[in-house]
Amino acid sequence: MVFLSMPSTVASIRLKRIFREKWGLFSWLAIPLVIMFLMSLIAGVGGGKLTGRLLVTDYDESTVSQFVTGGFAQGPLAEIFTVKQVEENEGKDIMDAGDASAWIIIEKGFGDAFINNHNTTIKLVKNPAQSILPQMVETSMKLLIEAASYIQVLFSKELSVLKPMLEQQKFNDADLVVLTLGIKKQIERLEETIFPPQLELIKQEVENTETEQTNISFGFLMFPGAVFMALIFSANSMAVNIWDDASNGVIPRLSSTPSALSAYFNGQVLAAFGIFSLIVLVLGLFGVLYFEIPVQKLPVMMLWLVFSGLVIYMLFCLITLLMPTTKSANIVVNATTFPLLMLGGSFFPMETMPGWLATIGQFLPNGYLLKGLKDWLVRSEPMAEVMLWPLIMGLVMFVVLWAVNRVLINRLIHKV
Amino acid sequence: MIKTQSLSKTYGQFTAADDINFEVNPGEIFGLLGPNGAGKSTTINCISGLLKPTLGEVYINGFSVLSDAIKAKASLGLVPQDLALYEDLSGQENLNFWGQAYGLTGDQLKQRIKIVLEQVGLTSRAKDLVNTYSGGMKRRLNFACAILHEPKALLLDEPTVGVDPQSREHLLTAVEALKNQGTAVLYTTHYMEEAERLCDRIAIIDHGKIIAMGTVADLRNQMGEKDLITLQGDFSEVDEATLEDFEVIEWQDQTIRFMAENAAAKLSDILSRFKPGQIKQTAVQQASLESLFIKLTGRELRD
Repeated sequence: MVFLSMPSTVASIRLKRIFREKWGLFSWLAIPLVIMFLMSLIAGVGGGKLTGRLLVTDYDESTVSQFVTGGFAQGPLAEIFTVKQVEENEGKDIMDAGDASAWIIIEKGFGDAFINNHNTTIKLVKNPAQSILPQMVETSMKLLIEAASYIQVLFSKELSVLKPMLEQQKFNDADLVVLTLGIKKQIERLEETIFPPQLELIKQEVENTETEQTNISFGFLMFPGAVFMALIFSANSMAVNIWDDASNGVIPRLSSTPSALSAYFNGQVLAAFGIFSLIVLVLGLFGVLYFEIPVQKLPVMMLWLVFSGLVIYMLFCLITLLMPTTKSANIVVNATTFPLLMLGGSFFPMETMPGWLATIGQFLPNGYLLKGLKDWLVRSEPMAEVMLWPLIMGLVMFVVLWAVNRVLINRLIHKV
Repeated sequence: MIKTQSLSKTYGQFTAADDINFEVNPGEIFGLLGPNGAGKSTTINCISGLLKPTLGEVYINGFSVLSDAIKAKASLGLVPQDLALYEDLSGQENLNFWGQAYGLTGDQLKQRIKIVLEQVGLTSRAKDLVNTYSGGMKRRLNFACAILHEPKALLLDEPTVGVDPQSREHLLTAVEALKNQGTAVLYTTHYMEEAERLCDRIAIIDHGKIIAMGTVADLRNQMGEKDLITLQGDFSEVDEATLEDFEVIEWQDQTIRFMAENAAAKLSDILSRFKPGQIKQTAVQQASLESLFIKLTGRELRD
């Protein structure tokens, strides 16, 4: 029975050794935070919310042009963009200084051209030093232009009624009633084509709306991936430490004692659990303080992250134990670590990756587990819907790898 | 206490240990001597459970290492040839770890740690990190880790390699003390003087086989009164008939080894059989364990 204490002994020894190497522990925590901060800067924000500045030079100043630029001053876009009206020279200076994400220039006659169904131009200048925010402006403009072209085709008759009103700035009630009825009639006519009743809309009240889209910042998008990065770094190091123990004779000598090597391995897993818990606690509290993650979400987030860390640790242990030497274990585990980080959403949020790359990332163990967490934590999707399958898959992976690793560790003594 | 029965270990076509049979009794130090690659470590590894024998059985304290491994290993202490320590932990922490690996806990463990630290002379350095220890101190700690649980059988695989004289003396004294307490000790070494001082019985192993076994006196008797003569030089053109009246052990272009009674008296006759300049060096060794070893294996112990 006394041998049952072996895993806790091994774990305490491992933890003691890790805590003695403070810089190693510190780097596991600090590197992900530094990378997250730098990536946030690269994305054009100061590490907090994703916000940007949009310049508008409106030479037309018509109702239509105000409709176009007004899109950025309301709704979710208003949470992100501060719209500033500027003269052309001022706009040029600000853009040259890199102090805005994008600049929209609307030429005189834009509104008329739109009403009369003539060609016209909106000029968009993007800040090349930024990627996400200028892209958001461009995409929004494309959507607006597309919507406008549909309006031109479908409501050409109504626009011709509207045109003299806009020109003279005179709106009488009778004309407005005719115009409104015309639009209503047209929508009803198109309704069967545009909105075929093939889908039933079920309204559902969402209980917790605290982390709605308004809270999503680039830093927050990166945060879960950054915690994964810390877990991956530490899992990498702790897995390779097993080979170190074999090389320095501890594992061979242990196999001559009554303690089983599987007890040693369980101790290593226990130590990894302890380290992951510490990392997740520290970074989790950072997330609560900095990204205002709701405290009630903290326990589930922490459990999920520790569990994910253990799955990744098992994967690294498998790679380590399959290798013939310490050196090859180091090389291969490191060579695995960086693709996992890059594609699995730790260096770059998957949301910013090309679709095909994000798809690959989501099928990596860390990417799959990270996506489940982010869908729940960042997008407030129902936990059962987004976390159940990753949990099941993760558990299966953990159990299978644990069983395989317990066998492999016994073979390690023959390699040294 | 330690018993091997027809122990063999093969790797494909290569036989590392071939039909090894011996028994080490309580209170006995049994030496296993052999040059590098002779099969000593393979034998030790099979006894300690690190390797599974291809054939044969090993018993420790009456328990089979193969079928009753936990009980057998509980009676066994192993001092491996290479250090097996955590250098970033203190000596005391290492002992604590290995003690628990052998199933010791609580006060019993604390007490044993105190005793073995005294035995190996490391009490004053117990709380220092191992990476601050000298090579000899590390060896002593390596030894201490194996005797914490007061094993009935102890395997020492060349424990004094690279050890300073002070540490060597500490270790040898500690081994003798264990013997006196009734521990069965299996000891491998390269140092013949250590074997002669410590071992009650010795087995000489070469190419995986035991080629001689007995007490130091028995083995010396196998040599009779013959001395070992070693000639070094250029013998590529010398006819082997030159020394046909002697027992030649080894004949190579640069080295000739042969046995001769009363070698000192016959030396001038022997040297006269060679052309001037052919012999560059001559050595005569009186009958000893070392000369027996060379006679039996054709190699020096440190080859």
